[in-house]
Amino acid sequence: MSTTDTQAVGSPPPVPVSFPPKEIAKQCEAIVARYPSRMAACIPVLHVAQKHYGGWISPEVEAGVAEYLGVSDSHIRGLLTFYAMFNTKPSGRHEVWVCRTLTCWLHGAAKLRATALAKAGVDRVGVESEDGKFLVKDMECLGLCEVAPAVFVDGEPHVNVTPEGLEALMDGCE
Amino acid sequence: MTAKKKAAKKATSKAKGGAPAKVQRGADGSYPETKILSRLFDVKDGHTLSVAKKHGAYANLEKAVNSMTPAEVMDEVKTSRLRGRGGAGFPTGVKWGFIPQDSDKTKYLVLNADESEPGTFKDRYLMERDPHLVLEGCLLCAYACGLDVVYIYIRGEYPGSIASMERAIDEARAAGLVGKDILGKKGFSVEAYVHPGAGAYICGEETGMLESLEGKRGHPRIKPPFPAVEGAFGCPTVINNVESLAHVPCIVEHGGQWFADLGIQPDPDNPRALGSAGTKLMGLSGDIRTPGVWEFEFGITVRELIEQYGGGAPSGRTVKAVIPGGLSMPVLTGEELDVPMGFDALVKVGSGLGTATAIVMDDTRDMVEVCENIAHFFADESCGQCTPCREGCHWMEKIFTRIKAGEGTPADLDLLEHLFKNIEGRTICALADAAVWPLRSILRKFRHEFLAKMPAEAQAVGAK
Repeated sequence: MSTTDTQAVGSPPPVPVSFPPKEIAKQCEAIVARYPSRMAACIPVLHVAQKHYGGWISPEVEAGVAEYLGVSDSHIRGLLTFYAMFNTKPSGRHEVWVCRTLTCWLHGAAKLRATALAKAGVDRVGVESEDGKFLVKDMECLGLCEVAPAVFVDGEPHVNVTPEGLEALMDGCE
Repeated sequence: MTAKKKAAKKATSKAKGGAPAKVQRGADGSYPETKILSRLFDVKDGHTLSVAKKHGAYANLEKAVNSMTPAEVMDEVKTSRLRGRGGAGFPTGVKWGFIPQDSDKTKYLVLNADESEPGTFKDRYLMERDPHLVLEGCLLCAYACGLDVVYIYIRGEYPGSIASMERAIDEARAAGLVGKDILGKKGFSVEAYVHPGAGAYICGEETGMLESLEGKRGHPRIKPPFPAVEGAFGCPTVINNVESLAHVPCIVEHGGQWFADLGIQPDPDNPRALGSAGTKLMGLSGDIRTPGVWEFEFGITVRELIEQYGGGAPSGRTVKAVIPGGLSMPVLTGEELDVPMGFDALVKVGSGLGTATAIVMDDTRDMVEVCENIAHFFADESCGQCTPCREGCHWMEKIFTRIKAGEGTPADLDLLEHLFKNIEGRTICALADAAVWPLRSILRKFRHEFLAKMPAEAQAVGAK
């Protein structure tokens, strides 16, 4: 589970964005309508919001979503830090997930992780590369075990990945 | 069934002591596939309503709605002895029977499509290749139990399955198979939605899943109350695995007894051995030549699955260890594989069927490193509610890391045993047990590998 930078003591609370913006308003309303409580829409709405706002949820968006769904900011923060797919920091223009669980590990996931980090020019997972291009994340089992090792680039699964293949994939990112 | 037939059946099952009933092996002794759930896996466009309908999709829903009462459908599922396919093996029909019929609250079905058990990918095949079978199973469950809304909880890391199930629901809704008065039957109204997860193993635990569905962190609940009485949004809720419900259409088609006669019969001398009725999707991954997923009538052994379908370990290597179902079951060594892939048979040898998708490790693998990898998974995925799990999983990982680095002592192995004892069974949900089982079995069966990593003087102490 990721950790987030806490706000400095005494700094003003984030100004909520006006949520939902009109591009995703219809989608969000349709999601809310599926459930007997507004809180239940939190996770699917956060997915839509994260995609819309460039791959991460800022404190301002967090506050906007909270207001929209009638829950506290801290409830949303609780979700963002619990679920591995949400980012609370800028996520780079491209997100690379490397599966590290047993089957992929047996098939060389550690090498893929090293390759991804080297290509991004960072020394650990979970931090944006300096040029803002990549974010590499360790993920637990992605359910692609019969075609391991597996990597996701920008939400797209890639299977039977070799280190050379991953380099080529990352080279293909703008 | 006639009395004579019943007596004959009892005699056979007794004679065989829970052995597989009557699978016809090939002349060379090979174990055949049985394609019931998987019959559309290789059919072009089998995921579309038009093609699926040509292969009989929704015919069984129509049969149930037009010629059977909800109670009759439930009875067939009870007769079938179908056991849950998500890992625990609880009888599906019994679970359905817990739903109170006198409640006027909205009733829910939450389909567990979170499939985040490592090594497991069978439900992905069902959802992507035959989503209408899955949906038909959901609708039959809703019919039998009187449910109003279906939420299909799919893990966020399955974009293909999410898209496939959403498309199937849209198609079905347009054809009058989802929504108000389904198939023209007054009062049979069921809504269905996909609910995406966002990356948390614990949400595959049924009450963790309910919390997540309600928009919260996936912290499992203390039971009772059980979900059947107080589940999603405080209302009666059925929670079933994808594969469990995908079996229901064929049970309605051929009858519960037909299904019960397939596979491994219950052991009449052991009331806890409920048998392994029907077929099962089984998979292989890891150090195996041809990984994949196949469907068998229960009865195939672990060794047959690995050698006949998986092609054995990669060239020049031998199978050293197998976790038969996902990551959360005790390990079998390469010498322990002549046991059927069945619920009771695997429990009998100290393991478990789990999800029936085995992870295979060959003789080049370092079991200390394997343990470190497994412990890291559970440490990462512990929800953090219960101290034994939250602290214990990290602690175990640290010890394995220490042993790997050559800094361990035999006292560390005692400490691990102490931790196992204080983690297992002491938490709200079974994640902690799932962490202990593979690690403890590996430590006990491959103890020499752990000792071999320790300094020489320490090894002498540990050998005593």
